[in-house]
Amino acid sequence: MNTGFLQSLRALIALRPKQKLTAQYLLSLLIAVTLAFLVGAGIMLLCGYDPLTCYAAMFKGALGKPRAFGNTLAKTVTLCLTGLAMSLAAKAGIFNVGGEGQLFLGGLAAAVVGARMDGAPGWLIVLCSLLAAMAAGGAYAWVPGMLKVKLKVNEVVTTILLNSAAIYFCSYMANGPLKTAERGIASGTDSIASYAEFTPLIRLSNLTTGIFYAAGITFLIWYLMTRSTTGFEMKITGTNSRFARYGGIRADRLALWGMTLSGMICGVVGLLEVFGIHHRFLTTISSEFYFDGMLVAMIMRYQPLGVILMSFFFAILNIGGSAMELTAGISSEVMLIVQSVIIFFMAAEGGISEMARARAAARRVRRAARRAEKEAAA
Amino acid sequence: MSEIFNILLVQNTLRTATPVVLCALGCLMTDQVGIMNIGVDGMMLMGAFFAVLGSYLFGSWVMGLVFVTVLGVLLGYFYYVFSIKFKSDEFIIGVALNILAGGLTVFLLRTLFGVKGSFSGPGIVPLPTITIPWLENVPVLGPILSGNTLLVYASWILVLVCWLFLYKTPLGFHLRASGEAPEALRASGKSPERMKRLASVLCGILASLSGAHLSLGYLTMFSENMSASRGFVAVACVIFGGSNPPRVFLAALLFGFIDALGMRLQKYIPSDLTSMAPYVVTVVMMVAVVLLKRRKQAARAKLSAETRY
Repeated sequence: MNTGFLQSLRALIALRPKQKLTAQYLLSLLIAVTLAFLVGAGIMLLCGYDPLTCYAAMFKGALGKPRAFGNTLAKTVTLCLTGLAMSLAAKAGIFNVGGEGQLFLGGLAAAVVGARMDGAPGWLIVLCSLLAAMAAGGAYAWVPGMLKVKLKVNEVVTTILLNSAAIYFCSYMANGPLKTAERGIASGTDSIASYAEFTPLIRLSNLTTGIFYAAGITFLIWYLMTRSTTGFEMKITGTNSRFARYGGIRADRLALWGMTLSGMICGVVGLLEVFGIHHRFLTTISSEFYFDGMLVAMIMRYQPLGVILMSFFFAILNIGGSAMELTAGISSEVMLIVQSVIIFFMAAEGGISEMARARAAARRVRRAARRAEKEAAA
Repeated sequence: MSEIFNILLVQNTLRTATPVVLCALGCLMTDQVGIMNIGVDGMMLMGAFFAVLGSYLFGSWVMGLVFVTVLGVLLGYFYYVFSIKFKSDEFIIGVALNILAGGLTVFLLRTLFGVKGSFSGPGIVPLPTITIPWLENVPVLGPILSGNTLLVYASWILVLVCWLFLYKTPLGFHLRASGEAPEALRASGKSPERMKRLASVLCGILASLSGAHLSLGYLTMFSENMSASRGFVAVACVIFGGSNPPRVFLAALLFGFIDALGMRLQKYIPSDLTSMAPYVVTVVMMVAVVLLKRRKQAARAKLSAETRY
């Protein structure tokens, strides 16, 4: 038979599993979350804390008051956008681990434009800052994307290294050429035009009108990934690049675009932090936000809808964790451990269930053999 | 000029390169069996913490190293179970390991020592410095080669040992085969999985040891996130050096040189920019290695085209 056809058939078969969120997968997720919470409870007990009090404090701290709920929602937005940025690239067959650096650069660019344009109409400032943030983040993702596509330089390593480079660069800018003359700001740029700031939706919380921008972007990404031709092409390229090439899809271009778009989204996350919360660029605008989002994306297998829902859960763990530290006294890092346990189990989910199935099959064979033996003896 | 380029620069180069060398040796072990372990950064971080813990609890650096070695074996085995046995995505496991390391070390730092940020104190016993008597007074070579801490020498010896192990012993041969041709290895009656397990455990030990040098070698303290992406630099060095120990060593030395040079230039250039340099240089190195390889291939292709007729 035609080898090309055989290849595509094999590719189609290879395409089928793994990428979908099946009922079985969701069940494993539930088990993994439960297990992770149990591990967390074990650690709490070891350290002499009462797990129930701790977890209660966590949920209350994340959802109890309007202000806390606002913060949780704001965190959801960050996780969701970073998670979608990761998913978009991953679906296009390229890993963007450099979102943190893109976020910093985007934030810096937005802050500079926001401060320099003081006097222009508010909407224009936001628009220009948005463009600047997207350009900065996108360009910074484009470089490793290009290196990967043209030279096959491993993008995971380059993006991680570029993270550190970008963070130091922004720190240099915020402490050097762009340092504000204002007093009491350790390392930050000038504040943006005050009338362009996003207004809080819930008093004193981090939830601002920025959530509408985020929602718009989220919808666009969701549409791009699940409803458009590009999304379909990405899906095929991400799962099986040889099949994609066979089908006439230019995988390289797609990967490069996936990477660049991913960087743009990260840039916008930086902008949201600047315009929503700090109103200037600070070297502390993000503490590994991108990595949190990346985990959400990995756990949900880069499915947009799953990422959006899971972001909320992880936001509860994140915001609740800090509250737990304040009220119950246990260090909030325990929630990081819980999160990594969830990831370990979910990454191993396929292998573990396969092993369990193989073992069950072996047991069945053994039992059948024993029965046959008995029958033979009788 | 002589203020910057002097013997001290060479000394600093060797010292800052050491953790990267050790970590890269670990990483290349897994790279040889076909796994790219980016969790080495987390292993380094945990190694740094447990070295301090062992040294502090027992008041001896030997216990620090014992703690680190045990931790390394456990981490390596853990990595093996998840990435090989459960067939998970090695990249995800690596990232999760890094996050676990970040969370666990900070959590333990706060619950065991009750401090935030960093832990230092007279209770932590650093690694000994070794002076070589006959070499000590030789000009130039003396201050460079003598008076380094234990793990600096260990890293040099380990480069040689790893090279001998991988390329001159049957076991090393099998280990490499498990990455290049697992089916061939299986056909010859050896288990690729066992070789991968060995590589993972070796990787765990070496990467954790690199952390011990961070926290007991040139500093006597543990601080949050003290590995500062050095593990990823090590991964880049492995790629740069094509998983060959001596070449990887040279790549790590280059990184150490840039790092050390940056530290000395801080008088003249803002420290943020000098801190940025090693990462940028590493990326440039990765690009350079591809371009060089391409040129070599092109030359070879041209040669073969010319000689064909």
